[in-house]
Amino acid sequence: MKQLIKLKVNGDEYEIAVAPWKTLNEVLRKELNLTGTKLGCGTGDCGACTVLVDGKAVNSCLTLAVEVQGKEITTIEGLAESEDKLHPIQESFIEKGAVQCGFCTPGMIMTTKYFLENNPSPTVEEIKKALDGNLCRCTGYVKIIDAIQDAAKKMKGGK
Amino acid sequence: MSNYKILGKGIPRIDTPQKATGDALYTADIKLPNMLVGKVLHSPLAHAKILNIDVSKAKKVPGVKAVITRDDTFGEKWGVFKYTRDHQLIASDKVRFIGEEVAAVAAVDEETALEALDLIKVDYEPLPAVFDAEEAMKDGAPLIHEDHPNNINIHVKIDVGDVDKAFEKAYLVREDKFTSKDEGYGMLEPYAVIAYYHSDGSIEIWMPNASPHTKAKALSNLLHIPLNKVIVRRPTIGGAFGGRSDIFPLDFITSLLSIKARRPVKVVYTREESMICTRQVHSMVMYAKTGVTKDGKILAQDIKVIMDGGAYSSTGPIAASVPFLVWEETYKLENVRLNSYRVYTNKPIRGMYRCHGRAFLGGLGMQLDMIAEELGIDPVEIRLRNALNPGDMQATKSKIYSCGLKEAIKKAAEKIEWDKKRGKLPFGRGVGIGANGMMCGFPMGIRGGSSCFVKFNEDGYPTIISGVIDNGQGNYHAMVQIASEVLGVPPEEIHIVAGDTEVTTLDVGAYSQAAVLVSGNAVKKACEDAKAQILKLASEMLNCSEDELDIENKIVFSKKDKSKQVPLHKVIRKGLIENRHVMGRGHYMPEVSNDREWVKNPVGQQATTFSFGANAVEVEVDTNTGEVKIINAVGFHDCGFPINIKGVQGQYEGSIASGGVGSTLKEEHIFKDGKVLNADFLEYKIPTSLDVPENVYADAVITNDPKGPFGAKEAGLFGSMNSFQAIANAIYDAVGVWIKDFPITPDKILKALEEKRLKDEG
Repeated sequence: MKQLIKLKVNGDEYEIAVAPWKTLNEVLRKELNLTGTKLGCGTGDCGACTVLVDGKAVNSCLTLAVEVQGKEITTIEGLAESEDKLHPIQESFIEKGAVQCGFCTPGMIMTTKYFLENNPSPTVEEIKKALDGNLCRCTGYVKIIDAIQDAAKKMKGGK
Repeated sequence: MSNYKILGKGIPRIDTPQKATGDALYTADIKLPNMLVGKVLHSPLAHAKILNIDVSKAKKVPGVKAVITRDDTFGEKWGVFKYTRDHQLIASDKVRFIGEEVAAVAAVDEETALEALDLIKVDYEPLPAVFDAEEAMKDGAPLIHEDHPNNINIHVKIDVGDVDKAFEKAYLVREDKFTSKDEGYGMLEPYAVIAYYHSDGSIEIWMPNASPHTKAKALSNLLHIPLNKVIVRRPTIGGAFGGRSDIFPLDFITSLLSIKARRPVKVVYTREESMICTRQVHSMVMYAKTGVTKDGKILAQDIKVIMDGGAYSSTGPIAASVPFLVWEETYKLENVRLNSYRVYTNKPIRGMYRCHGRAFLGGLGMQLDMIAEELGIDPVEIRLRNALNPGDMQATKSKIYSCGLKEAIKKAAEKIEWDKKRGKLPFGRGVGIGANGMMCGFPMGIRGGSSCFVKFNEDGYPTIISGVIDNGQGNYHAMVQIASEVLGVPPEEIHIVAGDTEVTTLDVGAYSQAAVLVSGNAVKKACEDAKAQILKLASEMLNCSEDELDIENKIVFSKKDKSKQVPLHKVIRKGLIENRHVMGRGHYMPEVSNDREWVKNPVGQQATTFSFGANAVEVEVDTNTGEVKIINAVGFHDCGFPINIKGVQGQYEGSIASGGVGSTLKEEHIFKDGKVLNADFLEYKIPTSLDVPENVYADAVITNDPKGPFGAKEAGLFGSMNSFQAIANAIYDAVGVWIKDFPITPDKILKALEEKRLKDEG
């Protein structure tokens, strides 16, 4: 039996009918057509589905949609600062060559956003630990780590 | 280095802003009006006769729009080669592995499709099964395909020189056995297909693929639809690594569902289905006998390898050959014999992989190091003594053109500080080296070439139309950089239409390391053709000769007198009004021996040219836990000329992670009676950010290949293909044990250390 829920995603309010067992990932991708959030495994192992719920990075494949009513949900589509200005993390991922096939990228970027907000000046070791739930098969993580260091600098005004 | 304006620089890739914003549409992201959801029923048995399939109940479920089985096909079998057509892509008389596709349903939603699947009743008669390639070859083993005695799918036999006589002259002969377990690809994107059959008899289809034209050809044969009506579209693709090359059952099944339902159908495989029902990677057993001179030159080699191919052929003849080809592309082998068997078992189907052949290449590399040690020769030195040179002929008669192999080996050794470290680091630390060559394309007959069109719009902005496909490695960007260099238009102002069989012409795809050489040459030629037309028109406008003109930043100008210039769009418009439309055309066919055949005639030029590379690593082995950590990894790549140096580095960084850390140290599919027990990312351990080397350094060795576009060749594969030997060799340097079974997991190291301790204590 479906139930009516209210979700706030990227600042927009949605009222939708969903079955209570539907995950946030399914609702974002299939009901709201926000397909920037990926599904890589469905079991919380790869991190490709990472979104922010009240600013915290979560696996949307393991979160039920009904659980996150009334919370602020941010997906990759809601990260850019304006129509023509990307978020510094997005800029750094592009500039540093951290994107290859790109399937892990939205999840990586959302994890990074949560991480850098809580640790604005991370060491390489801290970055690696922060990323250990986000798998990437293309890059060997080298340029992703570069990009995160670069983004950290940008977010602190270049320092 | 060069005077290129655009090439060689690490400029950001044109395809990455869409990927970093979530704009890029992968197959599972695409939604079409009135689209149905498809689900597939898989075999629960490893080997069984299908007695009956009853779909009557499933069809009656409200919301079910199509159910398909073997009865909905033309009964055609597919294989990459005419002689390997053994796969009907939906089970017909038998099932041959756990997970084989038996039936499928399209319904209005997922729940309905799943409910209907549960109602399909399949009666099986179980048959004895076999799960080990060597067991499968024995007389009396259950036959998986009745027309293949001893379950031998492919036997590639190569015999060059006089191997037996050469062994007699050898100063030292070694015989070793190396093995490797079954692997997975681990691309992040689960497999997905959308098919949309139209009432005009055409079918549109989206799927992650490494060669849209290869997919189209197979579907055309199987569905009896002409090629111009099989429209393979281009989604964004989430990784391939060799595992998206040929046709998969899901491509066919989704098409059948759409044809039957007359509606678009999408099937998205789960991670588990994706890891079992697309492709896996061969396990191998290799027996290598090598004879050398006193100074370490390879005199004779006799290699027997048995590859577990799983239930069907896939790219069998290629898979059975490539590890050997890579070996002969590296070292001078005057007397060499290969007996490579790809064997059927009741396991999922195996395909090509960027780390294909870890027992083979890792094993032969390890054996070379063992020989070096017995002879008192340094591992770097023995590689230099045997390495191919420019102008050399390989064992099966491919000529080498540009070749920076020795330079790569020397640079890798120097960068890792080989002389300071080898044999001199404290116990538990060591360095190792690996090297290999790599073909830039396979001989693929009519499917081996590429062509390209360039069109200009009236505002002067060009569109490149090429059959090339990008799985994430950066092929679109490489094409755009090549076009930009020729046309004098900035990369971000060029649009590329690629990998869509409705508009693009036949292309080899992102397969066999051919894209830069083959598709890149076609793009370059098409742009040169367009440029010649532009300069001719402009010369009339500027009253000067075409030879003195060039284009930069969309301005055509005289190199002699810069005041003579005209914007590109005005030249294009002149062409339009005068009925001289600027349309560039270019095509390229690799210079290979077209009579070379994988099994029947494995002799002749196999690729236009070859790239080379060397890897050196420093490892730390924890002797209490057996864990290996790669501290430093350095790679030097003779990719001819790096079109985008960041791309070349990124390929190495990814290769050392997946080939080095993953294939060499961690990855292995575990089976129980043919069932994959770890078809997930929790238990199938692809490297995380915490597993990769602490420091990675990658650089290019520039050889400016005469055949490559702007001197460029294949970039990237060496990092994975020779990391096995580099790491195994470094582990030996660190703790004095050889592990001959991949992956080199901690338990094997601990066991070997214990055996060594007991032996040392006498």
